[in-house]
Amino acid sequence: MRATTRSLAALLGGLAVVASAGMAIAQETPPAGGEPKDFNLAEATEFELPNGLGVTMVPYGKVPKTTVQLVIRTGNIDESADEVWLADLMGDLMKEGTTTRSAEDIAREAASMGGSLNIGLGLDRSSVSGTVLAEFGTDLVALIADVTLNPAFPESELDRLRADRIRQVSIARTRAQSVTQERFRAVMYPDHPYGRLYPTEEQLQGYTLEQVRGFYEANFGAARSHLYVTGMFDEAAIREAIEAAFSGWKEGPPPTVDIPEPVTGRAVHILDRPGAPQSTIQVGLPTVDPSHEDFVALTVTDALLGGSFASRITANIREDKGYTYSPFSQVSSRYRDAYWVEMADVTTAVTGASLDEIFYEIDRLANEPPSEEELRGIQNYLAGIFVLQNSSRGGIVGQLAYMRLHGLPDDYLETYVDRIYAVTPEEVQRMVQEYIRPDDMLLVVTGDRAQVEEQLVEFGTPIVD
Amino acid sequence: MRRTSLWAGAAATVAMALTACQPADQPTAELDTSFSVPVEYYTLDNGLRVVLSPDNTAPIVTVAVYYNVGLRLEPRDRTGFAHLFEHMMFQGSENLGKMEFVRLVQEVGGVLNGSTRMDFTNYFEIVPAHKLETMLWAEADRMKGLAITQENLTNQQGVVSNEVKVNVLNQPYGGFPWLDMPQLANTNWYNAHNFYGELSDLEAATLEDVQDFFDTFYAPNNAALAVVGDFDPAEARAWIEQYFGPIAAGPEVPEFDISEPRQEEEKRSSKVDDLAPRPALAFAYHTPERNSPEYWAFGLIDQILVQGEDSRLFQRLVQEDGFTAGVSGSMNDLGNMYNYEGPMLWTVSLYHDADVSADDILAAADEVVERIRTEPVDEETLARARIKLKSGLLNSMEGLFGFGRADLLASFALFDDDPSRINRIEEEFAAVTPELILQTAQEYLRPTNRTILTVEPGAAQGGAAAGAGSR
Repeated sequence: MRATTRSLAALLGGLAVVASAGMAIAQETPPAGGEPKDFNLAEATEFELPNGLGVTMVPYGKVPKTTVQLVIRTGNIDESADEVWLADLMGDLMKEGTTTRSAEDIAREAASMGGSLNIGLGLDRSSVSGTVLAEFGTDLVALIADVTLNPAFPESELDRLRADRIRQVSIARTRAQSVTQERFRAVMYPDHPYGRLYPTEEQLQGYTLEQVRGFYEANFGAARSHLYVTGMFDEAAIREAIEAAFSGWKEGPPPTVDIPEPVTGRAVHILDRPGAPQSTIQVGLPTVDPSHEDFVALTVTDALLGGSFASRITANIREDKGYTYSPFSQVSSRYRDAYWVEMADVTTAVTGASLDEIFYEIDRLANEPPSEEELRGIQNYLAGIFVLQNSSRGGIVGQLAYMRLHGLPDDYLETYVDRIYAVTPEEVQRMVQEYIRPDDMLLVVTGDRAQVEEQLVEFGTPIVD
Repeated sequence: MRRTSLWAGAAATVAMALTACQPADQPTAELDTSFSVPVEYYTLDNGLRVVLSPDNTAPIVTVAVYYNVGLRLEPRDRTGFAHLFEHMMFQGSENLGKMEFVRLVQEVGGVLNGSTRMDFTNYFEIVPAHKLETMLWAEADRMKGLAITQENLTNQQGVVSNEVKVNVLNQPYGGFPWLDMPQLANTNWYNAHNFYGELSDLEAATLEDVQDFFDTFYAPNNAALAVVGDFDPAEARAWIEQYFGPIAAGPEVPEFDISEPRQEEEKRSSKVDDLAPRPALAFAYHTPERNSPEYWAFGLIDQILVQGEDSRLFQRLVQEDGFTAGVSGSMNDLGNMYNYEGPMLWTVSLYHDADVSADDILAAADEVVERIRTEPVDEETLARARIKLKSGLLNSMEGLFGFGRADLLASFALFDDDPSRINRIEEEFAAVTPELILQTAQEYLRPTNRTILTVEPGAAQGGAAAGAGSR
């Protein structure tokens, strides 16, 4: 619900961006700064319980807080075509109580520790997590274990939670960004859970408590899960708490492996939104995933092309043309699956012009390698972002869980920055030629059909609804 | 564990040591959970307030410049101008051409942003620690003055109008309740106009407006600078003197009367939203004056009533009555209860189905509100509220790699001339008694101090019929 309604932090942000014109001659040059300081990744301790639950503990920082996050390799990937969001509904119901705690008990206990209990079901990974004041770290471990191992699934709450999800979906379907994403995924991933972004109201109406329980029984277990603890904590005490709370968890099956075969090829879809002041665009194609040897070079290429404030596409359609506020590209990845996508909300009258500029920037980089200087700037940026990613409790867990999901080597973090700097201008050019091919891109536009259809004809015959 | 220089870029290596199976029974030191923020505070001769707060957890540093002008104080025929102006600060200064500032930050491996809030406009960078001097120089450069063209202004008018479209005009519930509620609940224009701005006002802005606004508000004597992270304070002081010291103080900023009268009658409005598929409801109360005893009491009331799933409104409206999936509430929709200065609203909002009326939900909410107005809060509830506030304050400080700490320090410097109060907030809440909470609730949660806003689904959504859910 929250995600569909507002994000205040993002509102009125400047999102300052990007240069387009050449450098003016500076009367004064910026001082270069001093010598770089050492950066040490936090040290991790790992162990495994007899039931297969892996545990990673990473002491970090001076703020007296502990983060505990249980990552389970399940989610929408384990739903059949007529079970869309059954996983999400199960997650909702997990919070409604355990065999010994009511929903209110759970909420109060977490709040008394200075935190909250969060359950999130994702496409291929889900989590039960919380962050609390450090003196309550072991209590949080116990609470997370109870909610995960002993859910009561009270039938009395099912209809209420079902109604909440129906409301959430109905609101999502009125957001241009949501329906654009839904179509993009549906076309790219036919007959795969990744292609089913939202359920129908009828589906949500139909789910029974038995189905919810069945999903839990089939997909929750120690063998497909990993527990992360980071922040300030007493290692021995936390370890003892983990052993006490999680040793009784059933092993369960290994994670589902269901690698999709995404559709590649030019297609243009228009979702009519009469009178819309903007067109919401997603344009992209399937690409290599994080386990591929070219992935780091592709990451650098994406940051230079559209994935950073100073990137070429943003410089062009925002800071030069003023067509849009927050254009952005990214490589969106899951286990052995990824796609590249550029997203933008542009003023209706310049829908076609914006796409022309996006393709122009892609072609320009395919035809000519970037300068050493431009590439070095992006490499510095990514090296800096890497330090930021490893300088918060959430970021540390995120990095470690990412490595684990994709099966990346133990020295991944250690060598990451070297590999960023090893990318050459010619490789960037090759990445675009091989992986960011306009002719193979899917193009979804949600906007005022009467005004945009003609602007889109040059990109292919639009499929309209 | 190896120690290496990552920021230089070339040939950097970093160690993530994975130690398999350390014995669990090794002795560990007692966990030290005390926490206090180092604060060095002083003022330059030109009036610039400076706060330094070293923290060597990570080799990064945040530089944040706060100007004492926010959404309230824009010219009357130029709604949205404070925010448009913020964008202009990225368009060029004496030594940095259009967007060279942005490129400079990104190419040293940092991130940056700016934002316009109720009572300040901020500009900040989070960069590798050894680039502190570079960022101080750059922020000083744009404090000295802007060098922008009509083309830059036209470009950003396009960007900002697209920002309004994507966040408000093309969104269901766009502007609800954060943009709508101040316009309904407040009576003084400064607090009650459209902060994002009418598109016609945004389009009417001129280069002269930009210069006037800069000359009025953007001077060292109307600003605060916060530096947080891994740096040597003595070195930082020298650079700050070197780069900011020579900037001349500006004229005194004019006084604006931003006060709000006591509200004596409940107000109620309804808004039809053509994009919204379900009804929504918000209600707001004017809050006690910032830093008064009642203000701290209200902070606790906020926690007890609406923050978290243990809160009374969540338990009643979500858990018991099933009206909605969640209840949002805030003492400052564009920030937190600390980083503003002026009249403020406590706003609660939720989304519901058409088969329940707003009045039914309000009746349930009223029972919760009346309880805190008539029944002293029990010890357990009060203790939990204090823990939530303490923990929430730490969350605020940690936000965005330490930027959150800079935000509080700069706000306390700008509004209170006392950033060290960051370490005394817990005491303020500890001093609040159940009696004070009761008195505060009686005055500030009066029905006559309330404004109600309902959102009705528009014709495009088939009106009320589209809202039927199941319960």
